[in-house]
Amino acid sequence: MNVVYLHPLPVRIWHWINATCMILLILSALQIRYVGLIDVTSFKTAVLLHNWTGFVMIGNYFIWLLFYLNSDKIKAYHPEPPKKFFEGAFRQMQFYAYGIFVGDPNPFRVTPYNKFNPLQIVLYQIVVLLLLPIQFVTGILLWDVKHFSAQVDFFGGVRVVDSVHVLIFIFFVFFIQMHIYLATLGHTPLAHIKAMFTGYEEFEDHDAAKSSADTSFKGDTTRV
Amino acid sequence: MDSSGHQGAATRRAIRTRFAIPAIAASLALLLVPAPAARAADDKPSAADQTCLGCHGADGMEKTLADGDKLSLHVDGDTFAKSVHAPLGCTGCHTNIDLQSHPPASNDIKSAREFSLTAVNICRTCHSDKFDEWDTSVHAALVRDGNVRAPLCTGCHSPHAVIKGAAATIEQIPCQRCHQDIYKAYLGSVHAQARQNPATSYAPVCSGCHGAHAIKPVVTLGGPKAACLGCHADALEKHQAWLPNAALHFDIVSCPACHAPGAERQVDLMIYDKRSQAQVTEEGVPQFEPRPGATDTDESLDAMALWRLLTGLNNTDRTSNIVLHGRLEVRTGPEAHRLAAKTKALSNCATCHSHGSDAFENVTISVVGQDGRRIRQEASPGVLTSAISTRSVGGFYAIGATRVRLLDVLLILGFFGGLAFWVGHLTIRWLYKHYGLNRS
Repeated sequence: MNVVYLHPLPVRIWHWINATCMILLILSALQIRYVGLIDVTSFKTAVLLHNWTGFVMIGNYFIWLLFYLNSDKIKAYHPEPPKKFFEGAFRQMQFYAYGIFVGDPNPFRVTPYNKFNPLQIVLYQIVVLLLLPIQFVTGILLWDVKHFSAQVDFFGGVRVVDSVHVLIFIFFVFFIQMHIYLATLGHTPLAHIKAMFTGYEEFEDHDAAKSSADTSFKGDTTRV
Repeated sequence: MDSSGHQGAATRRAIRTRFAIPAIAASLALLLVPAPAARAADDKPSAADQTCLGCHGADGMEKTLADGDKLSLHVDGDTFAKSVHAPLGCTGCHTNIDLQSHPPASNDIKSAREFSLTAVNICRTCHSDKFDEWDTSVHAALVRDGNVRAPLCTGCHSPHAVIKGAAATIEQIPCQRCHQDIYKAYLGSVHAQARQNPATSYAPVCSGCHGAHAIKPVVTLGGPKAACLGCHADALEKHQAWLPNAALHFDIVSCPACHAPGAERQVDLMIYDKRSQAQVTEEGVPQFEPRPGATDTDESLDAMALWRLLTGLNNTDRTSNIVLHGRLEVRTGPEAHRLAAKTKALSNCATCHSHGSDAFENVTISVVGQDGRRIRQEASPGVLTSAISTRSVGGFYAIGATRVRLLDVLLILGFFGGLAFWVGHLTIRWLYKHYGLNRS
């Protein structure tokens, strides 16, 4: 069994704060949107919780942003050349759609500088660089529609801004289930989750053997 | 629009001209009134007035007018003597009366309304400031529009019985003559009740909020909120202590919508021109000015019709300046006056922010009419929850209550789609492993 130091402390702090906030935001959003059907807390409490959690999440986003802007590990988010990306993405989709069922090894091997498979790179770029900022902006506009009335009008009115906010919320309801499930597909169901606490990702020897030929594999690995 | 506008202007000029000349004449005549000699003493009619009262003091004295109506000519002498007008004497106002030719041989008054219209000039002679205020009112607009019930001076003030503070008590408020239903609602309000208490007897009667003479439609006054804040200046500050987005609520929700808790409420979507920053008038809006091919005004607008309406209005000048400004308000005027004590006001957010809230069961689209009052067209409540209305009703949204139904469907798909993926994937993995198809 090999280990690699994959998740630096700032990333782990960001991840778990982000995860907590996202769960709270989804739950409070459901309470706000479906008051009467869901009555766990009052509407007002849910709104206040949603607002404060949103601001924590926005502040937390800058932990992630500042860390990666000041770290060479931002390479993890760099897109592959198109040919390499499509080949890697196809292999990854093939693995999830068939290989994983018959026991094929994961075609992607992680390093500190290449910790996302091609599908993850695209998805996380969309989530972190597009959807989260849009969600933050629309959330702030909805937080004080009166104060930001000019901006709300610019985007077509409060109903347009809210619809965009809700559409991204719906995506995250879908995404978070996929994210949690895929996080259980390590060599053990809790391997990836444990790594997000300790920072060290474990992978099996046959993966290491294959990865020895991979020139990008140059992280801080340790055999245990 | 031009045609009606010119008509209105012409009517206005005609009224002004008709009022102006006699007013000047009456002013000059007043200068000639032998005031001290004619004035009443000890609340008794003066000697000069006794001459008039010799006939006009008789009960039931009346005149048949050209249109067949009867005009009462009776004046109670004692009441007149106590009125603020008593010092002027009869001839102070009725300057055109010449005893040599009075009563006239021919019937020169066409109708009671015609007489009242002319009599306005007499009042204007001394009360030109009040006349000018009245001239800007909705009442004056209705008069110019030919409404024969719209009040002139004598509609509210009995000229032979005017005393100081006559309208100071609830029972004496002249507004009740026409606005009886609103008056009854007001009597049950916190304001009317407060007036019974000496410590809060300053609580408003009608004129406290609407003004006495320059009475405007609420839409012109910036809504009833402006009247409420006239006394309750710290209302926003007090609401901010407990109500999230209080300033937004103040913009979108009329005060009675919460402070008249038993009232039926509605959402009014006002057609608004962002460029001129004013509400759109009825002219040029097909749904309010029927024309061939336009939607019948008796039908309520659905989301598609509303979208077409907004698109049509904006296509006229290829802009997006025409928008809908939504506002939650009470459905009728009387309900707007049935204000309860603040302890009974609606303060539970879920009352409005939950699906099925009755506040959003009634929807109207409105424009401003010629007299400044709003003209409304019923709309389907579905316009508030339809995805088609995302742009057209972009200016009104109550979280939870008017949520877009299509997004609810997408949320269900998103949740169960995600659930189906991982449950399905997990199941297939288990099946491969269970039947020995997984090599590892």
